[in-house]
Amino acid sequence: MVETTYNPVTPAIADELRRIVGDRFVLFGDAEKLEPYSHDEVPDRRYAHMPEAVVRPDSAEQIAAILKLANRERIAVTPRGAGSGLSGGAVPLHGGIVLLCDRMNRIVELDRENLMIVVEPGVVTAEINEHLRSYGLFYAGYPMSLETCYVGGNVAENAGGGKAVKYGVTGRYVLGLEMVTPTGEIVQLGGKLLKDVTGYNFIGLMVGSEGTLGVFTKITLKLLPLPKANVDLLALFETAEAAIAAVPKIQTESGIIPTAIEFMDRTSVQAACEYLNESLPYRQAGAMLLITVDGPDAGQVETEYEAIGELCLQAGATEVYVADNYTTSERIWKVRRNIAEAFALLSKLQANEDLVVPPAAIPQLVTGVGRLAAKYGVHAPCYGHAGDGNIHTRISPPAETTEAQWNELAPKVLTELYALTASLGGKLSGEHGIGHKRKKYMPLFVSESYLDMARAVKRAMDPNNILNPGKIFDVERKD
Amino acid sequence: MRIVVPIKQVPETNAVRMDEATGTMIREGVEAIINPLDLYAIEAAIRLREAHGGEVTAVSMGPPKAMTALREAMAMGCDSAVLLSDKAFAGSDTWATSYVLSAAVRRMGEFDLVLCGERATDGDTGQVGPGIAAFLGLPVVSYVSRIESVADGRCRMHRLVEDGYEVLEADLPCVLTVVKEISDPRLPTLRGKQKAKRADVPVWTAGDLDVEPSKLGLEGSPTRVVKIFRPSVARKCEKLLAADETSVATAADRVVEFLQTRELI
Repeated sequence: MVETTYNPVTPAIADELRRIVGDRFVLFGDAEKLEPYSHDEVPDRRYAHMPEAVVRPDSAEQIAAILKLANRERIAVTPRGAGSGLSGGAVPLHGGIVLLCDRMNRIVELDRENLMIVVEPGVVTAEINEHLRSYGLFYAGYPMSLETCYVGGNVAENAGGGKAVKYGVTGRYVLGLEMVTPTGEIVQLGGKLLKDVTGYNFIGLMVGSEGTLGVFTKITLKLLPLPKANVDLLALFETAEAAIAAVPKIQTESGIIPTAIEFMDRTSVQAACEYLNESLPYRQAGAMLLITVDGPDAGQVETEYEAIGELCLQAGATEVYVADNYTTSERIWKVRRNIAEAFALLSKLQANEDLVVPPAAIPQLVTGVGRLAAKYGVHAPCYGHAGDGNIHTRISPPAETTEAQWNELAPKVLTELYALTASLGGKLSGEHGIGHKRKKYMPLFVSESYLDMARAVKRAMDPNNILNPGKIFDVERKD
Repeated sequence: MRIVVPIKQVPETNAVRMDEATGTMIREGVEAIINPLDLYAIEAAIRLREAHGGEVTAVSMGPPKAMTALREAMAMGCDSAVLLSDKAFAGSDTWATSYVLSAAVRRMGEFDLVLCGERATDGDTGQVGPGIAAFLGLPVVSYVSRIESVADGRCRMHRLVEDGYEVLEADLPCVLTVVKEISDPRLPTLRGKQKAKRADVPVWTAGDLDVEPSKLGLEGSPTRVVKIFRPSVARKCEKLLAADETSVATAADRVVEFLQTRELI
């Protein structure tokens, strides 16, 4: 096996970086200031690694110069957005340089005639919609960490989120990319085009490449007319099985594509409600579904939510709440959005999983997770985007478990969990990405030929393995 | 038990923008919701009905679109609703509004309680609840955080005061304004929404009420808004930083001295 080795960032190289981006925009030699860039939002610090320098470029040209320098000096470069990732994607595994996109935060152009927007990677995703609202437009990519994450990170991870059932994930909206290749060349991919088969679909390759194949500097996104009405339903069920069984029923029998179908089991709802001091009648409910419907007018949305609500009641819902205004809607979404935060407080030892299966296999997955939890005596609350087959589970051991015990137990539980997921036709991650956190489990889901193909692409584009090394798969075959 | 809950439709405050030139709120295109503080009055009323039986009626004075707020109140569990809508009511201040609402309550006949929210999130005066009580000549208790009992023609409750609460009793009928602590509002249900949609909500105009036309609307309102402006808040910030761990005590002493010279501690 060949290990790539990297050179350290020396004071002389730090000076060179300062000449590229300006003195103020290089952090070097101050461990305290560098520390925040050693991890993302994966709570387990075993996945963290310190950078040697953080550089904050302001243009594609500066990024190109940094990458040329890094290739010349053989220094690893890890691109970073807001650092809200959940797979370690932005962690500088080999030290070196963290390339922070925060200064590239301009909305370059709103093209209302083409219904497109051109943004830089450091724009906070929520700000795009803030900007678009008064024009009656919206960008349908909607990750759950909407107040913090950058659009560049969304593209790099092909972020999903709550609205994917109807609107799909980030990749559906990326029409054009200006990017810097790992060797420091600036290239244009796609453009303001809804159809484009001029050459390879490199945008498809770049979206979800986790910062291993290029650094995006301008992103052209497709926009949609802003739905004029939207209503959320919160349906309470006695058991998780009943709730999850209602999901395919809604999708196949209602004739309606809801914007979102979110599932929350008893433990998830309870943790979030207690965290928020929310008085929803969660104690009586074994599970809840949060279903959103949106559309061009209130009348149509009303017809649709009534139909879906009736289906839920037929499927055994004990109550269906309706939120058709900001106050009530925010109240129920808050519960869903705070589950992760609430769990993070409960236990330090946990594996935050992002399983995805064909939507119809969701009931088998959820019951299977329950079985596994019972077998190993762990907690495995399930919640997430049931409507698109993407379920999150946070596996944590009983309170008295030591870290050493957990380190031994977790891989066993995870391996069995992933085997179950794969047997249902599912994959390792729906929207969080692989990073280095899930890398070793890749072979459970993809063939060696797939990995060879991925390695060939990576080697061709990044011969020195400079850009975000150590992520998704190992560049060298381990045999 | 017969309970009347006056509610107001207000702009959703998260979306409110101000017209910098005129200093007024831009209401166009902003979602209208039930005044969030009125939800607590609705919840308290429904709980009393659940405990004692009877009927809860929501009433609102406003333009025709305030019907949405009333139907939402019914979806939460109010039994009936009345909309007070008339061009003659437009421009009413808290005095004229209280006058019209009290006339509507009177027209409804026998009742035991009028439950109001503490104040509306747009006007922020908190005057309408007590105003209704004044026009009806009834006792009023504001800032009610708990209704302990309603029995034998009397209501016993807690009123939130700065450093605790008072326990008060009032004869029924009376008017209460309630605070958040009273109970968390429930969410409207699908069945509630469907029932509310089909319900017949009467609209009463000035002609339906025993009111004097000269006391209505802008003309009947003694309040004159002379100017609305955003007060400028000037903060003078002084930072005391400890250079290292050894100087923390010195820095703390400086903070104490700073507060003492201003008689804050």
